[in-house]
Amino acid sequence: MTDSIFALIAEELGRIAADKGEVLPPLTADSRFLDGDLPIDSLDLATLLVVLEQRTGQDPFREGFRQFTTVGELAALYTVPA
Amino acid sequence: MTGRRSDWLHPAFRLIEGEDVFVWADLAALPVPAGGILQADRPSRVLAALAAAEAAGQGLLLARGAADPEGWQPGQGFTVTLESSGTTGAPKRLRHDFARLRGRLRGAAEDGARWLLTYDPGAFAGLQVMLTAAAAGALLVAVPGGGGGTVAALAQAARRHAVTHVSGTPSFWRAFLMALGDAELPLAAVTLGGEAADQPLLDRLAARFPHARLRHIYASTEAGSLFAVADGRAGFPAAWLDDAPDGLALRIVDGVLEVRSPRAAPGAADGEGWLSTGDLVERQGDRVLFAGRLDGLVNVGGVKVSAEAVERRLLAVDGVADAMVMAVPSPITGHLLTATVVAAPGADEATLRAGLRAAAADLPPAARPRALTFADHIPLSAAGKKSRKGPQ
Repeated sequence: MTDSIFALIAEELGRIAADKGEVLPPLTADSRFLDGDLPIDSLDLATLLVVLEQRTGQDPFREGFRQFTTVGELAALYTVPA
Repeated sequence: MTGRRSDWLHPAFRLIEGEDVFVWADLAALPVPAGGILQADRPSRVLAALAAAEAAGQGLLLARGAADPEGWQPGQGFTVTLESSGTTGAPKRLRHDFARLRGRLRGAAEDGARWLLTYDPGAFAGLQVMLTAAAAGALLVAVPGGGGGTVAALAQAARRHAVTHVSGTPSFWRAFLMALGDAELPLAAVTLGGEAADQPLLDRLAARFPHARLRHIYASTEAGSLFAVADGRAGFPAAWLDDAPDGLALRIVDGVLEVRSPRAAPGAADGEGWLSTGDLVERQGDRVLFAGRLDGLVNVGGVKVSAEAVERRLLAVDGVADAMVMAVPSPITGHLLTATVVAAPGADEATLRAGLRAAAADLPPAARPRALTFADHIPLSAAGKKSRKGPQ
């Protein structure tokens, strides 16, 4: 289950948006990162991935890029410790 | 402005800029910039200013807002001065003669070509795209806003106008693929430039747009357009060190790529015509691969930034005992600057965060350190230096 990763993504995205003076709309697994749903740009998304690595110790992109468009697809790339 | 159409502007050329459509007559009706200085934020104004400067036989400065254009002189004859997007001090200005700017453009019109402008219209790469579309009588699609508009807006415009030709940085392409999702796009040409193209991205683009011609181009403001690589592989063929295309000569000196190019800006090269690109390269088998910058600059989403210069700013903030700015690899923007800060005893964290943010506020977004963390100390390498490069 990726609930806790989803919560982590929501928390950190909220922080990144707040740093820019933006408010994040309610996040769902289908929220798309870069097509205008969310007030973030590619630098913000790059920041999110660095922070997720700092907080989970995981870098799903180490072996190359893996396609994701939505919040749910990104969450699924991280494994949740039992 | 003169009513005569410039010969580099094909009569069939059209520009869509947001909701506005321009043909030659509309461009010709735009006001001429005073003193030959234009804030180059809209392609329509840039094209109009180019035509006006050419007709008047005067120099044109395409300013990008980074420095005070006061005191700039247009000089004799039609030239185009561009500002670099560097983040290490004042932007460099480089004067080009127009023929050289157009150097590699081949006017072969492709029927129904529809270009998307992803670059800043005042940047060398942006100008190349605009002049290519103008010369070929193509449609050019642009989105208002800095840096060619947001990726989301660009993806929407690309779908809406069914663009066929897109040129952008690798960082642009990574974000564009995400913004596009599964949408169909009738791409005939996919071009990458401005940063080294990595093999995973080239493979993804080839799979996503199997019918498109995939090329990565190598150019710099000083050296002009150098070469295009069309075999879908990162780097360039090592055979080019002996026999380079397009009138070029290439050599590796102390790990740095040097070029001799008929398209180099005047005065940029040494007496024998060689010009250092500042790009580190490695020969691997039949390939030469790019391996970062000699000056330690890293590429964050197409913008060259200096971790050290940013670090010096953070070190000057009240309440900072030590700081390290590091470039970490990013699957989205190539690299990203992160900061680790050691607070002075008694410093308040909230105040410190505000001070750190203020210290970077006037830098371009790509140069602002992200993912700020606090630590007790900065780990040093075996040589006793801050190990600035992140794990690769």
